[in-house]
Amino acid sequence: MLIQQPPDDSTTDSPSLEAVTGRVTANNGVPARKQPPPEKPSDIRRRSYIILSFWLIVLCLGLPIWWKTTTIYRAHLPLQEMLDWADGKACRPVFPLHISIQANALQEQEAQNLLRLTQHALDDLNDFSGHHLRLQLAPPAATENRDRDTVLTIRLVPGEATTATLDPHEPILDITYPPNAIPSPTSSSSSLATYVAGQLRSTFAEEQATISYLLSANSISPEHRPQGLSPDVAETLSKRTTRSLKYAPTYHLTFSLFTSGPLPSSWDIEGAIGDYMKPVLDLLLPIHNFTIDTQVQLYATPGVQNQVLNKEDLSSFINAAEWPLSPSIGGAPTVNFIVFVGNQTIAAPSQNSAEGPDPAPHSWLIPQWGTVYLLSLPPDTPHLSSEALKQPLLTFTSHLLSLTGTPRSGSLPLRLSTLSRIRSADLLLRASSTLGSLARLALALPSISIPSSVADGVSKTIRHLRMACETLGGPEGLAHARIAEAEAERAFFEKSMVGQLYFPDEHKIAVYLPLLGPVAVPLVMGLVNELKAWRKRRLEAAALGAGKKKE
Amino acid sequence: MRQFLPFLWLSLLSLCVFSQAASDPDYHEQLVLRPLPLSALLASFNFRSNTTVSEFEKGNFRFFPRSLGQILQHAGTRELHLRFSLGRWDAESWGARPWHGAREGGTGVELWAWLEADTDDEADRKWLTLTNALSGLFCASLNFIDGTRTTRPVMSFQPEGDHSSDANLQLLYGVLPHEVVCTENLTPFLKLLPCKGKAGIATLLDGHKLFDASWQTMAIDIRPICPTNEDCVLQIEQTVDMVLDIDRSKRPRDNPIPRPPPPHELPCDTSKPYHAHDTCFPVDHTANQDWSLSQIFGKAMKGTCPLTDPDVPPVCLQVPNTRSVFVSEGVREKKSPDQLSRCFEIPPSNDFEIVLPPPDDPGQSPSAVVVTPETPLLYAERSFTGHGQERGGVRTILRNPSPDSVVEFIYMETLPWFMRIYLHTMEARIAGHSQPDKSLVQQVYYRPALDRARGTQLEVRMRVPPASTVFLTYDFEKSILRYTEYPPDANRGFDVAAAVITVLDARALGNHSSSIDGGRAKAAYYLRTTSLLCSLPTPDFSMPYNVIIFTSTAIALAFGGMFNILVRRFVAADEGPEVGLGVVIGGLQGRLQRLVKGVRGKR
Repeated sequence: MLIQQPPDDSTTDSPSLEAVTGRVTANNGVPARKQPPPEKPSDIRRRSYIILSFWLIVLCLGLPIWWKTTTIYRAHLPLQEMLDWADGKACRPVFPLHISIQANALQEQEAQNLLRLTQHALDDLNDFSGHHLRLQLAPPAATENRDRDTVLTIRLVPGEATTATLDPHEPILDITYPPNAIPSPTSSSSSLATYVAGQLRSTFAEEQATISYLLSANSISPEHRPQGLSPDVAETLSKRTTRSLKYAPTYHLTFSLFTSGPLPSSWDIEGAIGDYMKPVLDLLLPIHNFTIDTQVQLYATPGVQNQVLNKEDLSSFINAAEWPLSPSIGGAPTVNFIVFVGNQTIAAPSQNSAEGPDPAPHSWLIPQWGTVYLLSLPPDTPHLSSEALKQPLLTFTSHLLSLTGTPRSGSLPLRLSTLSRIRSADLLLRASSTLGSLARLALALPSISIPSSVADGVSKTIRHLRMACETLGGPEGLAHARIAEAEAERAFFEKSMVGQLYFPDEHKIAVYLPLLGPVAVPLVMGLVNELKAWRKRRLEAAALGAGKKKE
Repeated sequence: MRQFLPFLWLSLLSLCVFSQAASDPDYHEQLVLRPLPLSALLASFNFRSNTTVSEFEKGNFRFFPRSLGQILQHAGTRELHLRFSLGRWDAESWGARPWHGAREGGTGVELWAWLEADTDDEADRKWLTLTNALSGLFCASLNFIDGTRTTRPVMSFQPEGDHSSDANLQLLYGVLPHEVVCTENLTPFLKLLPCKGKAGIATLLDGHKLFDASWQTMAIDIRPICPTNEDCVLQIEQTVDMVLDIDRSKRPRDNPIPRPPPPHELPCDTSKPYHAHDTCFPVDHTANQDWSLSQIFGKAMKGTCPLTDPDVPPVCLQVPNTRSVFVSEGVREKKSPDQLSRCFEIPPSNDFEIVLPPPDDPGQSPSAVVVTPETPLLYAERSFTGHGQERGGVRTILRNPSPDSVVEFIYMETLPWFMRIYLHTMEARIAGHSQPDKSLVQQVYYRPALDRARGTQLEVRMRVPPASTVFLTYDFEKSILRYTEYPPDANRGFDVAAAVITVLDARALGNHSSSIDGGRAKAAYYLRTTSLLCSLPTPDFSMPYNVIIFTSTAIALAFGGMFNILVRRFVAADEGPEVGLGVVIGGLQGRLQRLVKGVRGKR
């Protein structure tokens, strides 16, 4: 496509004029050159169209395609919703606890009245709306089959004086009352009602404190934050929370016998576990599964060789480099219980450490990891019998409860049901805060890629969080919170997000510069020339118009 | 004597496999020291512990290591063999391999296991779990055993343990020839032992000496053993074999530069006619045959492991009974009736030391100084042939030293997918004949490679006639890899795994005539060739950037030309604006003049 100018002299007069005056020198002495014939307007228009279309293609097609194909994929995340969850705006954790009152000896009317008064007293005492005790009257017929939602049954029995005892095996609070303590239908207060309310409150005080601590520690918005958590209670609770393991449906328990010398090389651990630990494990079964393995390791050198171990030495006692304490590979977190046979002893705790959690001077608990028990034996004991392991295993059992985060007060069934509620709250908050971290990460790093699996995980997490929030306190709540937490973790630790963490846009430009530069130069030059020519033509046209007017 | 030695090894081997009929002692360890010709010393460490299968399934580990037990349970592994090897066994001078080659691997890391799986996919999944977990446990790159490095041998390996016939067992085999075995693999190996490295023969294992050896191999074998009328036991056997160069081991660690011995210490062959005070023909076989345990291992042995079976002597030394040996106090020496070995019973808490003084008479016959090595059943050597960057070939020289018996064996190669072999070029030829002999190769199992998914698996069952040498050759083509598939040191070459040769038991063969009728024939001897280094054509690695820039420039050129042709106006040469140096100079002059004029005008 050559745009050739036909040599048509008749239409143009200026070249011939130039040709006539061709030999005339300009004032700077350079000879004037022959001018090309003027172009046809159609050619000029065509050239403008060509340049315009090139620019249009580059701007409307080329650049978007290039940008689109080299850009990093970022799936859409509901960032605002995620942040809402993290800030606690999306869910207000409420634990409605149903407590039924069984008062077979009372009239229906009297019982109703007592219930109303007690509920009143409870509401007066309660300052934390998230944790609500709701009383209901148990139908007298249903003495045995407890409602599934009921966490505690109060059994009111007439007796000599006002006493309260917790049943150690069932979630039942037995309260006896003297005959005259029944409030009259018209009275607005009753000592019995106040007493029952006080008992209930003290029973659930720890759970309430723990949950309110969890909520406050996870930056739930201030209007839901409970007040009145004393600093030392908060400190104890924070200690307990840091100590307990992350929630998992299955824990793997590893019992290890480490001996400093060659003996003893065998132990009756299976029998000892069966005798001293299995009953508690069976009770924990609704919340956690346990798998167990045991090992014997001889010639173990502890990390600290001192004869008497100080408090500082305990943290470095485990010789992680040499002792084969690798976690289990199945995915369940491992809890280590170590019996170390040697002649080392622990220094007696100093006077001021009154809060020492270990009454036994032979053992100590390693937060989120397990327990070490120092056992001193006469030398040349070849075998550890089940009786010799009784004390260590009882210690391990109590430490296992605190490692799983079970509260300290109350009867065992109550403690376990409390544990499941605390765990749901904990998981819910954890999943929410993971969501928040992911949202903040996505906002902070605009060049990080977000694969669609992350978006899937986020939507699944939010769905399960919502369901967990609706059914908090029950077993479904725990299950949903568990799923939500697992999904949130998976989304946050998505591998492919880390791989392309840094591929900045400058890099993209640099790689493609050898193409973009040489292509851009003729395009830009063509445009500039065209604009210049256009301006010149306009000026010429204006001058021509002015000349015509003068004429 | 020569006839007896194989029997001794066999009995040792069978001891370790079948002695569990009386499975009472759950732990056993033994070190066998055997001086080899040319100032070498073979040290074979063997550790074995048992656990009953029921205890294993319950997760109660006593001598069996828990870390490994968990992995086996998790990956559904019924039998496992893991090898870490380094160096080359010099069969010409050292003779047959220890344990009949059953406890060694090719250079690098080798792993084969029988997994319980119903489908191939399930087996692959379990295999992946297994390799990843073992990789973490042994600090080795076992997780790089992927589909391209995994094969399912058909003829070569056979389970050592007793497996119930209804179990769906799948054999998978993976090899990493490039892996460098080092101290970080020894430390976890020692951690698996009940006595760690703290007592017994394991105290002698030290990374400095072990990895300084001319040849060393560490093996872990786990197999279930079911004696008749007794509970099944799961047995883990850990073996370390190494050939130490006595010369090098005796060099002091702080001054390791070798120096020639003074002339009067040279052992000379006095029988030579030219022997004189200034001429000496060195005697090889007596050179440096004096050593002590602490010299070659750097320390003495610390007592015995108290868990070990008291009936098995912890240390045995295989030298002719005519040589004198000094040991530390309190050690009882038991000479074996065959005059060729002696064992030592060691008190539990004493340090143990052996001193082997130099032979009394340096001119003695070799067999009086060291036990004459047993001749192996087969010698094998493998090398590359071929030319250029594209055509390659492999030639294996297999020599049968026996004067009267035929050797029948299975030759297995696992080749990387980028070596594309031409199976039709494979031929076997007896040395001295020019024509290939078809009768040598009896059976071929060949599984061709898939690019980037699977390596070549070649198993050849063949026989070598007595006292003859056979050349097995085939050609291959080297393919070009993708840019990202090259390792960082691509110009070094690519390691090709050792070929595994399983020599079949001649007696067993007689029973069910030579064909493979479903079952696998029993192996009498294993040997592995050296690994090879295959160099592939490697590109210049700045290539992608060159390509980007080159194509960009070409596109830009084409675009620029086309665009200019479209938008420029063509005029006659004398009509356009003048170009050249003169114009530029003229323009500059004009400007300058105008400037000067302007300045003057202002004045």
